[in-house]
Amino acid sequence: MNKSPWIFLGVLFAMSLSWWGMVFGPASQVNAAKADLGDGTSLRPRSGLAQQGEQIYRENGCYYCHTRTATGGTFGYEIQITQFGADEDLTRKIIGEKFAANKIFEKAFAFKAVAGANDAKKAASEALKAEGADVEAAEAALEQAAEALTDAKAAANAIKIEETLTALGVSGVTIEGDLAGELGLPIEMSDADKAEVANATFAVSMGIEQWDEIKDTVRALKDRAGAQFKLLPVADEWPDVVNGVARRQSVSRDFLFDAHAMPGVMRVGPCLSNVGARQTDLNALYAKIYNSQAGGQSSHMPPYKYLFNVRAAEEDEKLPADAVTIFSAEDGMISVEAGFVVTPTTKARALAAYLQSLRNDKGLPEAPLPAVRENSNSEEGE
Amino acid sequence: MSEEETHNAPIAPEAQPEEINASCRGPVLFLFFSAAVWAVQATGVGLLGSLKMHVPGFLADCPFLTYGRLQANAWVAFLYGFAGNAGLGLTLWMLSRLRGMPLAKPGFVLAGAFLWNSGVTAAMVGITMGDQPGVAGYELPAYASRVLLIGQAFIAFSAIITYFSRRHQQLYPSSWFLIAALVAFPWIVGTAHWLLVETPVRGAAQIPVAHWTVTSLQQIWLGCMGLAAILYFIPKITGRELYSRQWAAFGFWMLLILGGWVNLNSGSPLPVWSIKLSQYASALFIFVLIAIGWNLRQTAKGVPLLGSSDLTLQCMGFALGAWLITALFTFGNFYSDWNGLLQFTYAGTAMRQFFAWGFFAMAMFGAVYYVAPRLFSGEVDWACSGTYKWIFRLTAIGAVVILLAGLGMSYGHGHALQDGSAEVMKKALMPMRIAFLGEILFFLSSLIFLGSMACLLFRNCCGECSPMALIRKCRADKAEGGAE
Repeated sequence: MNKSPWIFLGVLFAMSLSWWGMVFGPASQVNAAKADLGDGTSLRPRSGLAQQGEQIYRENGCYYCHTRTATGGTFGYEIQITQFGADEDLTRKIIGEKFAANKIFEKAFAFKAVAGANDAKKAASEALKAEGADVEAAEAALEQAAEALTDAKAAANAIKIEETLTALGVSGVTIEGDLAGELGLPIEMSDADKAEVANATFAVSMGIEQWDEIKDTVRALKDRAGAQFKLLPVADEWPDVVNGVARRQSVSRDFLFDAHAMPGVMRVGPCLSNVGARQTDLNALYAKIYNSQAGGQSSHMPPYKYLFNVRAAEEDEKLPADAVTIFSAEDGMISVEAGFVVTPTTKARALAAYLQSLRNDKGLPEAPLPAVRENSNSEEGE
Repeated sequence: MSEEETHNAPIAPEAQPEEINASCRGPVLFLFFSAAVWAVQATGVGLLGSLKMHVPGFLADCPFLTYGRLQANAWVAFLYGFAGNAGLGLTLWMLSRLRGMPLAKPGFVLAGAFLWNSGVTAAMVGITMGDQPGVAGYELPAYASRVLLIGQAFIAFSAIITYFSRRHQQLYPSSWFLIAALVAFPWIVGTAHWLLVETPVRGAAQIPVAHWTVTSLQQIWLGCMGLAAILYFIPKITGRELYSRQWAAFGFWMLLILGGWVNLNSGSPLPVWSIKLSQYASALFIFVLIAIGWNLRQTAKGVPLLGSSDLTLQCMGFALGAWLITALFTFGNFYSDWNGLLQFTYAGTAMRQFFAWGFFAMAMFGAVYYVAPRLFSGEVDWACSGTYKWIFRLTAIGAVVILLAGLGMSYGHGHALQDGSAEVMKKALMPMRIAFLGEILFFLSSLIFLGSMACLLFRNCCGECSPMALIRKCRADKAEGGAE
């Protein structure tokens, strides 16, 4: 530590470590990120007014009080079976009696039994008609199949549940019209019924389990029971999602095309990572920017009136279409500033367009949209 | 000349302190005085911005005075205006004294200081006009950072020439820190300038670059200059040897290695591995804290730094304590629950303020108190040494207020954010409103600092024609006249 050149070289080397680790490494990785989302769609850069709005947001330093960073949290997995395999007993054993006791499970396999017996009866009937068939054996098989079908129908009809369509969807079987009628099912399904059937799921976990707890079940369902299923993350301790601030965690690709990434410093104001989805009313957004306390709302956001054109309203003047208004219980929609006509300047339009472009309500492969439990608090002040 | 001959060459004779002080007088005083002016600017603008937390509609019709612009201006004025000027001035003086040689090329320093202050001014104007790059903590427009880099190069050239002008058997640890600060600044600002402003990388890649820049500027650049002062003045004033060079070296290298990694928010939209690395670096930062803290504790064992009668020692003691607390906070960021709770609250800003004023500014105030009078050849001292004590007191109280408000109340804000409480805005504003008191105290201490510097200069410049001498003469004449 007494040789000057070594100090210089040492300083350069020591600083280069953090430079490579915190600048070159992450920057290289995220710089190489692709816009392609893998489902035929891709992220797009902002254009037009929204692009200009980023500049307004930056030059006013909005990022000091607002973040654009929705944080991650803990979540559990819900296993949602979309189609059962053939073996009821094995499936029952894998998912456990707790979930197998659900009537839907029972009915799904009952319908599968009906469909299977129906197919067997058809096959026996075809065999009887075939040339050179052993008629006696074929008739016996047909009789046996018919009995099995009757038993299966009786079993299916004995199960009374309301979610018939859901059970159909989960079972993944096709039952012909006349048979469906015998089973008390709609022969002609509406589009809504079809959609319900197509999206039907059957949860076989609580949604709070971690991967280590469910991995054996998942492997058994896939490899042994032949079931089809999907894993849905369910927000657990995930404040931003549970509180309705955002729909998912913000990730690097949310900033991919930003000219200036402004993740934000503090949340003195609300997080704006999903404000575009939360605030779809453009007029309300203008009113918020113009004067966040307009209409008696409680807010500490400073008014940005200089982004608007303001002129005195003439007597009985009707407000123009682009005037910024607020709702009054007594007078309906009134000007945001009593006695004045307030219209947004190009800068205000650009800022609003930028804010409405901030959305994270679409899942990304690296940040899927988690489900939120119904009892969660999903209200957040704008 | 062979290597052996070079190594065995006789060490140049050490210059007299008076000669060194005389060589530093013009450039260093210019830098110190500039620092005082910028300190007032930084605190004044910061105060104006914070006032908007109390009265949102205050000056809201003026687009140049939004909270975001004022905050950016305040930090730029502090970081480059106050810290840059004071730190560079102290660097030049300390390197000259530690090497025992007069300051080399003082003309370069004056040119560099002029450029430096022009750069800060350009940045202030640019930000006011809305030309900030959108990175909190690094708000320099492109043209300003270019000028700053050139100005720093001029000053660093003089420092490096001074540094190499005389060989020592042993380099004092403060020299390492000062050299590191001189090398680190162009690297950090150059990286930010190149990757964030001049030819910006894609938006997503700007986030890690911005974090490294901001953290390095604080932990390495400011940290090295402030710690150099503490390591120099505590042993010097207490009249003791530094307890351990090995501890100092360990702390120095660990600071340089870890300084750029730490304090990344756990919720940052970055690859998980970089967040984890930052957490581990924050954990390792405890070694920096122990190395520096233990070394100085052992050095000043038995000496009550804050209770000392020497104002410089008091300032250094407080600065050391503030640095240790911020280092402890950095270590706390290892715990993701803690980090996650406080990441979007006022805590981060409060710790930055505490670091800036409690640690760095306090160290500089103490150093300037010691150095500035010695730069004059005569037997001179501060015009009103009692007023300088108020700089210490006000800054110390202000820093503690901000620390308590920032940490204590941000905890409630963090919980409100996690719970989705309806009172989240109220809890967000409360620490900032209380911290406003601290900012008022900073503003007052900066005014006193500027006044003290002005008095010192007026008192000691131009001999009998100095303003203070003229005032004294007028008073004496008046008193004489009155007696007659």
